[in-house]
Amino acid sequence: MEQLKVESKEVLKVENLSKKYSKKADYAVHNMSFSCFEGEIVGLLGHNGAGKSTTLKCIEGMIPFEQGVISICGHDIKSAPLAAKAEMGFVTDNHAVFVKMTGIEYLTFMADVYKVPSKVRKERVEMLEGVFKLGDAVGNLISSYSHGMRQKICMMGSLIHMPKLWILDEPMTGLDPRTMRAVQDFMHGYVESGNCIIFSSHALGVVSKLCDRVVLIRKGKQIFSLDVKEMMRNNPNFDFEEYFLLSENEGMGEYR
Amino acid sequence: MKDKIDLSLTKSLLRKQWIESSYHYKSGHFIGFLFRLLIAAAFVTVFVVFFGKFAKIYTAIKTNNILSIEERVIELITIVYTALIIGMTIGAMNQINRDIFGADDIKLFAAMPVSLKSLYLSKLISIYLSQLLYAVIAVLAINLSLTAYAPLGKIFYITTAAIVLLLPLITIALGSVLALPFHLIKRGLNRHFVLNFIVVTAITGILFYAYMLILSAVKELLIGESLKYFFNEQIMTGIATVCEYLYPAKWIAFFLLGKNVITSGIGILSVLIVCLVISMIIIRSILTSSLQSRISGTNRFIKRKGDIAMKSDSFWSLVKKEFLLIFRTPSYMFSYFSVAVIMPIMVYTSMSIGSSLVLRLIGLKCNLELALFLTLLFSSLTNVFCATNISRDGAMFYSVKALPVSYKKVFLSKIFLCMVVTVLSQLASAAALYLTGYLTWRLAFLIFVIGCIFSFVYICIATRYDFNHAQFSSDDGEINESGAVIVIVVMGLLVSFVVGGAVFGSRILLLLNSVDYSFLSYIIAGVAAVVFAVLAYMYFIYKLKKRYYEFEGGQL
Repeated sequence: MEQLKVESKEVLKVENLSKKYSKKADYAVHNMSFSCFEGEIVGLLGHNGAGKSTTLKCIEGMIPFEQGVISICGHDIKSAPLAAKAEMGFVTDNHAVFVKMTGIEYLTFMADVYKVPSKVRKERVEMLEGVFKLGDAVGNLISSYSHGMRQKICMMGSLIHMPKLWILDEPMTGLDPRTMRAVQDFMHGYVESGNCIIFSSHALGVVSKLCDRVVLIRKGKQIFSLDVKEMMRNNPNFDFEEYFLLSENEGMGEYR
Repeated sequence: MKDKIDLSLTKSLLRKQWIESSYHYKSGHFIGFLFRLLIAAAFVTVFVVFFGKFAKIYTAIKTNNILSIEERVIELITIVYTALIIGMTIGAMNQINRDIFGADDIKLFAAMPVSLKSLYLSKLISIYLSQLLYAVIAVLAINLSLTAYAPLGKIFYITTAAIVLLLPLITIALGSVLALPFHLIKRGLNRHFVLNFIVVTAITGILFYAYMLILSAVKELLIGESLKYFFNEQIMTGIATVCEYLYPAKWIAFFLLGKNVITSGIGILSVLIVCLVISMIIIRSILTSSLQSRISGTNRFIKRKGDIAMKSDSFWSLVKKEFLLIFRTPSYMFSYFSVAVIMPIMVYTSMSIGSSLVLRLIGLKCNLELALFLTLLFSSLTNVFCATNISRDGAMFYSVKALPVSYKKVFLSKIFLCMVVTVLSQLASAAALYLTGYLTWRLAFLIFVIGCIFSFVYICIATRYDFNHAQFSSDDGEINESGAVIVIVVMGLLVSFVVGGAVFGSRILLLLNSVDYSFLSYIIAGVAAVVFAVLAYMYFIYKLKKRYYEFEGGQL
């Protein structure tokens, strides 16, 4: 993994990120630091309200943050927001999407915003339809979509430009098992092309299965950053779920 | 388990509905509530004054040279109450559609052990209380106006109280019969956005035009005092004949005056009982049907798939996004596009009434000044919709913030669409005033330019104010009201009256001093437009970039 890191470019860098929602409130995220590299899937793990979504929203540029630096492919999110955002695609936890558009209109909108060339649009939509299988529903108004369908169109829209960094907030919630498997397979293939994925979840099984690395967050603080694949290589009996629960019970301190 | 009425559950449901309704009277919405209260009070006052004057003239009309005040009062009450029943029935129909077909809580109740009867009773009581409020205001306004000009006994006050309580029951029953077909028509139209737009705009335009025609006729009759001559023998015979068939309003008239109390009382009770039985059956079936449709989900709109479109600049994509959001949301489409289309009719009809009124009252022709005032007034009302330019986006505002589009494009796309709509509307208004001869083409062009500049003012201020006080809906719900709307309405009215008043005042003052110096009107209007435009633009761009990237509002 160290060798991978040396060879792979850094896609996302989060340095001393701190965020408060109001002056009187506690830190929602405090002194968070981690990086993501090409070819890896990083999971943000934590209980509800730990600060996972807040961290991702800061990375996406949705909400401001008080301290720290976030850069995507070398572009600082504050000083070069447009360049940074052009390198990423995101799926929010509430799967917010323009419900008064049809699926295809939404994809066109996203393609225009991310400046996807006309000649690749059709094949890219076909490729995404092959993965997410919305079928003819892509021609319907998104307001008529079920929860799972909205999630799918959200994912399709976030991938239309094949971003270097794909950010997902609780991506598996609401997906049927077949689509969940298809998305997981897609994620593996996507990072093998030299891209990077970061997603949040509190589902241990999904995280341990998918992620190369896990960052555990508790009460806005980073508890540890664990290279899951390396742990499993060094210790075939490594049980991530047990490790996670143990760390929760022992009340592990700050980042190690 | 038998579906019994659980009174404690009914009470809880009613409390829930009260909390939801009273939300509008709290904090940021309190101003809106006060404003609506003021408008309602103004409307009632105007009605009482004009209706009272009309009643005074009407009750003095003789037929066959015989004065019969009682017959005139019966006719008056019959006609007015018929109109009131029609109006309240339409209101009840809308409320039934909103509270039963459109209520979001139906989805939750479908999955809960909530008795259908309890739910139905709570909704019905809630609708009745709303209708009762309207009945109190309307009946008191009508009946008090009559008591001032017609000799009515003490029984009138007792029977008025009874009618106030009974009338909503009749209108709810009639409304429930119409609710289902109306809902089906509305649902059918909502699937066809273009057709919906045409139908809604056409109906609203026709209704507005008809309303203005009536207003114009009433104005002519009252001011010209030709009312007495209008109501000749032939007209009076026709009115008496029509009133013979206007049930149950006719029974209400007899009952109110204490005439044939038993017969009229039985008639009203019969109508009430029949209506209530029909209402109970229909509302129950509507509720069941609504529950079932909510469980099974909304209908899908099956469309042709189409291919992904060719590349276009993100600015035009943002404009298209704005347009689709408005056009495909019926309430937004009506509030903005339909009103913008009807604005020329509003300006023209108001101009036709206003210009003759001004000429009659002060003997002076002030078409330019009046046109300017009306243009400023109606364009402020048309552009009030821009006070939800940001709030309408909801959670998607944050998602757009995370896209690689500059804040300039985000805001400019909204301003651009609003300006396109307003420019077209202003053009049509100015053209209408020119083609109908109220203004020369030069003056019409001036009105068009001034109207566009002030529209820009309203749009900038409304958009920035909404951005500073954004209120997002937590789901895909529509935003039809916000604190910003009221502020913008008040601001627009003030600007219209101040600028329009200044222009009007200067013109009249000069004309009264025999100085026909119309150039002053141009100068005042032009300078005001430029000053307001600069101030509005500065307010709009003030720390906009910083605030955009630091935005955490919306109270999501």
